[in-house]
Amino acid sequence: MKVTLRIQRYNPEKDSEPYYQEFSLEVDDDKERILDILHRVKWQYDGTLAFRRSCAHGVCGSDGIRINGRNRLACSTLLRDVNYRKPIVIEPLPSMAIIKDLIVDMSDFYKKYEAVKPYLTSNAPPPENERLQSNEDAEKLFESAKCILCACCTTSCPSTWSDGNYIGPAALLKAYRFAFDTRDDAADDRLDVIDTPDGIWRCHTIFNCVEACPKEINLTWHISQLKKRLAEREM
Amino acid sequence: MAYQPKPPEGWLKTNLKYTKQSGSWAWILHRITGLGLTAYIYLHIIALTSLTKGAKAFDDEMKLFTTPVFKVLEWLLFSLVIYHAFNGIRIVLVDWANGARYHKKILTVVYGLGIVLFIGMGFLMFREPITNMFASIR
Repeated sequence: MKVTLRIQRYNPEKDSEPYYQEFSLEVDDDKERILDILHRVKWQYDGTLAFRRSCAHGVCGSDGIRINGRNRLACSTLLRDVNYRKPIVIEPLPSMAIIKDLIVDMSDFYKKYEAVKPYLTSNAPPPENERLQSNEDAEKLFESAKCILCACCTTSCPSTWSDGNYIGPAALLKAYRFAFDTRDDAADDRLDVIDTPDGIWRCHTIFNCVEACPKEINLTWHISQLKKRLAEREM
Repeated sequence: MAYQPKPPEGWLKTNLKYTKQSGSWAWILHRITGLGLTAYIYLHIIALTSLTKGAKAFDDEMKLFTTPVFKVLEWLLFSLVIYHAFNGIRIVLVDWANGARYHKKILTVVYGLGIVLFIGMGFLMFREPITNMFASIR
């Protein structure tokens, strides 16, 4: 079986604009992962192809790319998940500055992530062992804690595309993760950060983030809980 | 030498290129109908200024609005209102009533109910002129 990858290339040392390059190769079946095919392109056809990957098993979140116009993890996407009868279009994550080929500049994404103070802040004195929490309280956080910071959600959001300052679903999810943690005492600080015109209110419930998330987190639901909390705080 | 990263594409190009799913279509339609309704409010106010020009000017204008072209436009205006209103309720449910967990189902209801009401309204609006038209042919 033959598949064609249409990969967006950009070398800052040579190119003024990104361009597309096609690679056709034989694959065994449609159970092959996109990441494996990208590896074969890099190892057998063109060693200059640049992309990030680390664990290759959907845990590290470093191989987020746009496959056929949709943000996905290359390691978690099989050929059968995409239309491979036509050339598969591989592009870097949208609305991020491109460093080389599929590698984008993530510094802005991390800056927004850090803005919501993504760590536990407790006024209680440090306990002897761990800070305990009931099962019910912990369960509220499980889904939001699955985030691997791959940036697929934030860069899939039309609000991010039109407003570079929009804090983005990933940072909002992290704000939920701590604001709804019963052991945390800095919820108000986090809510202040997101309660701005460039903050949570730019979420127009488009659900692109939910479709893009490789960990199947319903980001919009978590954002709606934050919106409710903010409205309750106002009243 | 350090190279500057290449800035991303503009929002419009990204919007056009990125794969749409049901939620993004719902959002695009909500935007378009919203802009359409805003434009209509202005047209409505401009049309009403004929009131300041006396009764005849107003009556002439009202006669214009009963022509078939304006009837069809009115029907289309109804479709904008119905979609924008129902999808607005959907957005409220998403933000306030855990609707994010079942937003696709709500959207199906929005489209289904919208189409039924649109056709029903078309029936109410055009039943008489169409039966009259066929009557005249016979």
